[in-house]
Amino acid sequence: MLQILIQGLLLSGLYAIIAMGFTLIFSVGRVLNLAYGAYLLIGGYTYFYISQQLGLPKFAGVLMAGIVGAFMGVLKYQLLVRRLQGVHSAVEIGTLILAVVLQSAVILIFGDSSKILLPIVPGVERVAGAAIPYSNLVAAILSWAILIGLYFFVRMTHTGRAMQAVSMGAKGAAISGIDATRINMITWGISGALGAIGGVFFASYTQLYPSMWVAPLIIAVAVVIVGGIGSILGTLIVAHLIGFMEIIVSTWNPELRGVFTMLLIIGVLILRPQGLFGREEIH
Amino acid sequence: MNLRWYHFALWAAFIGGMYLIPEIVSRGTMRTMIQACYLAMFAISWDVLSGRTGYVSFGHPFLIGIGAYATAILSKKMGLPVSLSIPLAVLITMLGGLVVLLPALRIKGSYFALVTLAYMELMYQLVQVIRPDLTGGTRGLSGIKTLTRGAENGYMLAVTLMLIVALGAWLLMRTRLGTALYAVGMNEESVRGSGLSTTRLKAVAFLVSAAIAGLAGAFWVHYNGSLAPRNLFDINFVFTIIVAALIGGAGTIVGPIIGAFFLTFLLEYLRPWLPGAERYLVYGGVALLLYMYQPHGLYQLIQHGWARLRGQKA
Repeated sequence: MLQILIQGLLLSGLYAIIAMGFTLIFSVGRVLNLAYGAYLLIGGYTYFYISQQLGLPKFAGVLMAGIVGAFMGVLKYQLLVRRLQGVHSAVEIGTLILAVVLQSAVILIFGDSSKILLPIVPGVERVAGAAIPYSNLVAAILSWAILIGLYFFVRMTHTGRAMQAVSMGAKGAAISGIDATRINMITWGISGALGAIGGVFFASYTQLYPSMWVAPLIIAVAVVIVGGIGSILGTLIVAHLIGFMEIIVSTWNPELRGVFTMLLIIGVLILRPQGLFGREEIH
Repeated sequence: MNLRWYHFALWAAFIGGMYLIPEIVSRGTMRTMIQACYLAMFAISWDVLSGRTGYVSFGHPFLIGIGAYATAILSKKMGLPVSLSIPLAVLITMLGGLVVLLPALRIKGSYFALVTLAYMELMYQLVQVIRPDLTGGTRGLSGIKTLTRGAENGYMLAVTLMLIVALGAWLLMRTRLGTALYAVGMNEESVRGSGLSTTRLKAVAFLVSAAIAGLAGAFWVHYNGSLAPRNLFDINFVFTIIVAALIGGAGTIVGPIIGAFFLTFLLEYLRPWLPGAERYLVYGGVALLLYMYQPHGLYQLIQHGWARLRGQKA
């Protein structure tokens, strides 16, 4: 029981950080960014390259992953999303194509085989019969720290409130003197960094391989949609709901782990499209 | 239906050309063309649903997979003759189309795209877990009865199917029903406002799309002789179908065919240089550039070129 509780908390923290980067774009940019999964991929591989192939400190690897992710996000916004702005299906399809391109770029550079990341912090702690790698613990704690920081950033700072304003209505925000393009760029940058760091944690939780991004992308989408667009609190709650659900299901039957997550997304989307805690629907 | 003489002439030329190809090209090229024909059918199926009504499906392999698995299981495990298992597979896929229609009644846009993606992922996981003795689990099924021997016969079958599907879809889209489906894609509210039942229209689009996907998926499995869940319910497969339709020109019939042939041959000619999955880098790059600068596809490019040649303003 305690084991389920601990593992559930660790996994949920991970899902929360991945989903948070996704929900930022979805609520501010009004864009379904399917290439979000590619940030995870690139974050994971950047970390792998810096800390395991170059042998630099692990912290530098995480930091660099975040920076590369942020850079990717801004670049993608400037080159792709702004050009296709206004047509949602075009952005979705464009980002999907981009994700596949990035995935094959990774295959070209690092090869097709899966890589195992050395733990960020080595060592294992035993609590009541449950083995907790320090690495996962650090990932969960860092996720929480980042999430809390993000919450206060969005609520308290001028830029954060401008992001909220743009997510409520770009026209109104523009009238109040907010440069929507700048806010969008900041949001894409933050989202990229969150995705890349989430990718490092996720890859050290499982494995690093070129198609690792699809499952977490779907989970991120699930968390965001079930939680409700634009609700940070909803995202947190649902990340834990799904995290615990997966841990409980996988102690019962590991093969069915993903099935219930998919059923939850489909069910909630059909029955309650605005999500459990959302304030609106997006078309 | 507003048919003109040149429609007949162009279709006759197209059909004739497709049947003459085996006389010209090598066996290897013909095998590539067979895959292109199937991809073209998948792209047409996607286009009937997404290119017209605007409900973008990211989970089309869900439908194709139902058709493929249904006929494979019926013919291999249940021992039904292929002449019975394929029509049954098409019917089962149409039921699957109704499952996809269910969310489309309430949600649209990004949400709908996501549900279809979730459908695909769900199907991928269920196939491996539920009754692995029937579905073959993770490894999939092999040793499925093939219908044709040799590249030439396979090509004839594939091309005939593709022409039937293309001509059927083309005729359907020229009726008032087809016009109404376009209208749903442009503005669903005003279609409802003109007194048409959008639910019924969407149901037609989804059923037609599912029937084509099921038919193509079933024959495809009987051509390949095997199926593997990892390759079928794959994001790269979704990508190939969508890009084929878009590069060629969404909302047309000839467009997806052009796109499918273009992509399949591009992928094939890249093989000597880039043998593995890296091909998708070039392939995706080409797709992305074309999509960003020519969002209406190659078909429109050809049309504009034709208009220029005749001295009209493009």
